[in-house]
Amino acid sequence: MPAAKALALIPGLLTDDANAVADAKELERLALWILQRTSPIVAVDAPDGIVIDSTGADHLHGGEQAMLEGIVGRLAMSGVTARAVVADTWGAAHALARCGTTATFIAPAGEGPRLLRRLPLEALRVTPTLAAKLRPMGFETIGDLLDQPRAPLTLRFGPEIALRIDQALGNVPEPIVPIRSPDVVETRRSFAEPIGAAETIAKYVGKLVVDLCERLEARGLGARRLDLLCQRVDSHTQAIRVGMATPVRDPKRLTRLLCDKVETIDPGFGIEVMTLAATIAEPTDRKQIASSLIEETATDVSDLIDVLTNRVGNKAVYRLAPVASDLPERSVCRVPAMSPETGGSWPAHWPRPARLLQSPEPVETMALLPDQPPVTFTWRGVRRRVRCADGPERVFGEWWKRDAEAISVRDYFRVEDEAGERFWLYRAGDGENAATGSHRWFLHGIFG
Amino acid sequence: MNSYVELQTSSHFSFLRGASSCDDLFAQAAACGLTALGIADRNTLAGIVRAHEAAKATGVRLIVGCRLDLADGPSILVYPTDRAAYSRLCRLLSLGKKRAGKAKCHLEWPDVVAHSEGQVAVLIPDLADDECAFRLRRMRDCFGDRAYMALTLRRRPNEQLRLHELSNLATQMRVATVVTNDVLFDIPDRRMLQDVVTCIRHNVTIDELGERRERHADRYIKRPEEMHRLFGRYPEALARTVQIADRCRFSLDELAYQYPEERDDPRLTPQQSLEQLTWEGAASRYPEGVPESVVATIKHELALIETMQYAPYFLTVNSIVRFARSREILCQGRGSAANSAVCYVLGITSIDPSRNDLLFERFVSQERAEPPDIDVDFEHERREIVMQWIFETYGRDRAALCSTVIRYRAKGALRDVGKALGLPEDLLSTLNAQISSWSENGVEQRHLDELRLNLEDRRLRLTLDLARQLMGAPRHLSQHPGGFVLTHDRLDDLVPIEPAAMIDRQVIEWDKDDIEALKFMKVDVLALGMLTCMKRGLDLLAEHKDINLDLATIPSEDPRTYAMIRKADTLGTFQIESRAQMSMLPRLKPRTFYDLVVQVAIVRPGPIQGNMVHPYLRRREGSEPVEYPTPALERVLGKTLGVPLFQEQAMRVAIECAGFTPGEADMLRKSMATFKHTGGVSRFKDKLINGMVANGYAPEFAEQTFNQLEGFGSYGFPESHAASFALIAYASSWLKCWHPDVFCAALLNSQPMGFYAPAQIIRDAQQHGVEIRPVCANASHWDSTLEPTGREGQLAVRLGLRLIKGLSNAHAAKLVMARARHPFETVDDLWQRANVPIAALTQIAEADAFRPCFGLARREALWALRGLRDEPLPLFVAASADRTSLIPELEEPTVQLRPMPEGGEVVQDYRHLSLTLRAHPISFLRHELRRAGMITCLEAMESRNRRWVEVAGVVLVRQRPGSAKGVMFITIEDESGIANLVVWPKVFEQNRRTILASGLLAVRGRVQREGEVVHLVVQRAEDISSQLATISRREQGHAFVSKRTVEPAGIRFAARDFR
Repeated sequence: MPAAKALALIPGLLTDDANAVADAKELERLALWILQRTSPIVAVDAPDGIVIDSTGADHLHGGEQAMLEGIVGRLAMSGVTARAVVADTWGAAHALARCGTTATFIAPAGEGPRLLRRLPLEALRVTPTLAAKLRPMGFETIGDLLDQPRAPLTLRFGPEIALRIDQALGNVPEPIVPIRSPDVVETRRSFAEPIGAAETIAKYVGKLVVDLCERLEARGLGARRLDLLCQRVDSHTQAIRVGMATPVRDPKRLTRLLCDKVETIDPGFGIEVMTLAATIAEPTDRKQIASSLIEETATDVSDLIDVLTNRVGNKAVYRLAPVASDLPERSVCRVPAMSPETGGSWPAHWPRPARLLQSPEPVETMALLPDQPPVTFTWRGVRRRVRCADGPERVFGEWWKRDAEAISVRDYFRVEDEAGERFWLYRAGDGENAATGSHRWFLHGIFG
Repeated sequence: MNSYVELQTSSHFSFLRGASSCDDLFAQAAACGLTALGIADRNTLAGIVRAHEAAKATGVRLIVGCRLDLADGPSILVYPTDRAAYSRLCRLLSLGKKRAGKAKCHLEWPDVVAHSEGQVAVLIPDLADDECAFRLRRMRDCFGDRAYMALTLRRRPNEQLRLHELSNLATQMRVATVVTNDVLFDIPDRRMLQDVVTCIRHNVTIDELGERRERHADRYIKRPEEMHRLFGRYPEALARTVQIADRCRFSLDELAYQYPEERDDPRLTPQQSLEQLTWEGAASRYPEGVPESVVATIKHELALIETMQYAPYFLTVNSIVRFARSREILCQGRGSAANSAVCYVLGITSIDPSRNDLLFERFVSQERAEPPDIDVDFEHERREIVMQWIFETYGRDRAALCSTVIRYRAKGALRDVGKALGLPEDLLSTLNAQISSWSENGVEQRHLDELRLNLEDRRLRLTLDLARQLMGAPRHLSQHPGGFVLTHDRLDDLVPIEPAAMIDRQVIEWDKDDIEALKFMKVDVLALGMLTCMKRGLDLLAEHKDINLDLATIPSEDPRTYAMIRKADTLGTFQIESRAQMSMLPRLKPRTFYDLVVQVAIVRPGPIQGNMVHPYLRRREGSEPVEYPTPALERVLGKTLGVPLFQEQAMRVAIECAGFTPGEADMLRKSMATFKHTGGVSRFKDKLINGMVANGYAPEFAEQTFNQLEGFGSYGFPESHAASFALIAYASSWLKCWHPDVFCAALLNSQPMGFYAPAQIIRDAQQHGVEIRPVCANASHWDSTLEPTGREGQLAVRLGLRLIKGLSNAHAAKLVMARARHPFETVDDLWQRANVPIAALTQIAEADAFRPCFGLARREALWALRGLRDEPLPLFVAASADRTSLIPELEEPTVQLRPMPEGGEVVQDYRHLSLTLRAHPISFLRHELRRAGMITCLEAMESRNRRWVEVAGVVLVRQRPGSAKGVMFITIEDESGIANLVVWPKVFEQNRRTILASGLLAVRGRVQREGEVVHLVVQRAEDISSQLATISRREQGHAFVSKRTVEPAGIRFAARDFR
């Protein structure tokens, strides 16, 4: 049923888009969680299951039944409804878990074929297209397939059925490739004597960074974020974190960034252990350094940006980028310092003031309606006589943004006073219709 | 004097640029005091007839123009000064459109030069740079003193300087300047809509639009004084607007239409040819002598044709019909002029004027010099042959199709505006699901309440508001289904032609209203599925029963046929097969052809909404006296017992009783025919009522008459159309009555058409005693065929391979060819000889077509096919060739397949054939339904009045006609027959979800009998579709034992929803 139809049928129905990628990721996380608790051999049985080789692990949990109940119970507590089955083979366990009725089930050894017979053939892990071909032929349960001679089935439907049957019955082995937890690149150092002096900390930070960078290089990674954890003798942990705009594994740069913040560490009675971890690491490309004889190299300012960002904060370092909007104050936006060019630009042929005031300032003027420039205007107490002017440039409000802008109009004028200074003034309203604005004048920017 | 003429105006026919209609623009121009308005749409003249009409209505003169966006440079405005220049402009546009393909135009400067004579041209400059100077020089060289340059105030920085430089440059290049305003909309408030259409054009949301937004301000129509104030520095440029307006005196009224020439014998005038053909035709139509009355009618009509000089028109229609007949393509004319004696004897229609006394008053109206109107319906599958013949015979430069302006309706407007304003897709589809696309109000408050949407949301409110404004704006041009314009001279002298999306077709830029406004001749070459069906039926009749008939010679006024019609046993016939028609038949009780004409016309939204149905029925039954306030009214309405049922009658009433002139009555007819026209019939209300009262009618009667006429505002039928349709309805009923076997086969072979699916057609045929044989790999052809039964005069229908879903015609043909010499013996044999891909054979096996010939059950056949490959092994083919019998490729252990339950076979039948010859799916559920206290549909329909019953059935049709005020009609079916349900709005709202989503519906309701019409008025409804899913596991007559397993797929019945 399409979502829109369901929505029409049940008003107020909450819907959410399916996200297969996120599902797979979460399933993998769940598998890691089980890996840590249950058994060393765990794998994802996509799209909706996890397979565990519990051989030799069940007694640690007090037997098979207790182990299953433990897993299902723990999952239930974290909001996941699960069914767990122990069987002789991966195939059998897969089938019984999906077609069973109880939350946990332990198939007696050697009983696999008998139990499987009654299950629908989809439980055999055949592809849905194959199952769709088998059903019209009258094959509905696994038992229907077990009874048939293999050769005609293989001729018509390929080797998949025989393989899946053999796997479920244990006639062919099916090894489980266990998942591994992705490890964080980190390095640690413990001190025989607790350290406390900032210089000492900085010295060891340098050593840790060199070590870490070697490890990063071995993996072809660069750090985007470093966490330095300092364990004090009193068991408190002090931490500093630095972030980088691009992946970096230059020890000098990283050391400097970290040492900038060493001041913030309170060593207390001394630090016993220091751990440096690259909590976010990304691959870096090796790049040949262009010879200056051939081409100009672009100056890399990311180092400077990192230093500034780590000192004054992430939001305080930015670049301005053009936004396609007729309203001057909306025609710029802030973008992260290292973000790529947006490709937009300001119109070159329409003069714009070099300085735009933070907010337009009201001015007193003398001007003829509807569309003449002011003769004089008074800004910040100074009265100026207009010598020449250009305008109006008519700018309409962005009606889709706010109700107030639905019909609002600004008429911009470029004026030059007798001293030769140029200003950017506007009148709110089009000079005819009072609904388009207050018809008061504002100064919005200064040229030159 | 402040005189100014606006020359540069884009209407909304500059698709997705202009935001106002021609009507609005001209009304605003009149209000601003402009004396003339130049319409210059982009590369098109599509809106120019609308503008012409608007100009006539407002008194503001239209200056015909066009904006040419050249591929190699600037945009220029051109205005033809005379008729010859206009033709050149049309040819220029046709050239550009032909070069670029549908809806595009590619023109370059040399093309303009070649067509420049007589055009006034205005260059649209940007900045006064070298490029501009170069263009000005080119303009000067090409157009001489007819070259101008536009000065337009854009309200951007340095604007005065720009204008000054441009003006100087123009003087330097000796090109005159002229002020334009580049108008995109009539009033300033339209600016938002203009932004939205720009978004739609660029397919972006308003937030992303940025610099693509129209940046030059104030694009509305301004008063001359305001223009003079703004351009005070350029008085000459202002004066030149008037000068150009004076130079461009061309008006569309100058376009004189000429009929194409039709001469078999060049010595005869068209009138003489027509007379000769008419009398020849009369002689062959009436072999035993032309009746006196017919001779008189023909003479009268010919005289009228001569006065009006319509002979060429009749000759053209005649030659089209003659061509169709030569190819044995069945056709039937309709329209006002079609039901004349002349058309009958020429063979254009089959309604014999000597037997049917029809009102032909509107045959051709002498008062208005309007071309007659004949539409010709052809078999839908072979109409293309006729169309291509027309293109070839009359020449591609003299024949083209009309276009149809595709306008924004509620749904499309909401979707496009919503997208432009960035509303989420699913919200829009939910909103759209609530409104019908014909809704004139768009989304209403109750729709929002129903969806619990918040109108406080700004974007949503803006969307609804702007969507309402956008409704009615043209979106693009499409081709009319069959309206041809034929001319004597080159058509591209009159109107630009563009190639259509379909190859070998071309379309003019104007639609049929435009054509009518300019009094061009149009022949509608339409497609009608029922004619295909009749053609096939008559062919089968000739082939199998040796009865040779055509539409005109089918025995008329046959009592047995009328008896069948009166029983409403009309499933599959033309027009009178719908639910509404069927329920009317037992009440109207047709006995003669004219009754059928009334029947066809009366079950239309027009007469229903005008409340004409019940008075007519009462008068027919004699329960209400038939009285006429005046003899004048009796003359007009005598045939229909005093109730106006046809459009012509509405017009006559207006003329005879309210003193309308024929011209006014025609306006009334037009406003009744197309509800799109604003105002509808209502503005004639006062005139009609006052006129009637003045002529001595009671005010109440006048009011009532007006309300009746207003009903036609939605849809009324002209009598001549009704008569043509009634003839086909009668012919199809006759075939169904006397030869149900032939009718069934013909109908199946003409699918898809009509209200009913093959399953119902076959069931109906079976109930009429026709034997239906299943699809068979050895006996079926592509079409359904007739096979002898051994009983005299009765044939069995063998279902054709075309009913198998997904099977291609080519594969089926290969199969039939391969078995021509001797039938297939086994699946292996078929596979080796037919050389058809396994996939196609699988489709045939899934449809159970191997059972009748090889005795293989569906599963066994599929199993056998699965073991085969697409190509036989050459070694085995060689070995088999030596022997008489076939060598199977392999021997394998036998596999025991579980036989499919009876219910499963039914489900598979439905899935692959959409029908079954086995038991009805509901019969498998009967046991449970009985236990739940439900009776069959047949029992329910035969129950006594006002009894409470419960029934269940598969939903065939859901219908919620706009004329029925929210009442929903549902037809459900079970193994015993069908039941007709009526759901009142209140019950519908309570059970909305169930009723709309159910495939299998169980209802409780009360039987309502009105004569022979039985309805079940629903009180409660329940969705039991889930039971359908269990059918495939059931055996007939056994209770179902539930097994816990994966649910098998059920049957999906696609109910057909109609409005």
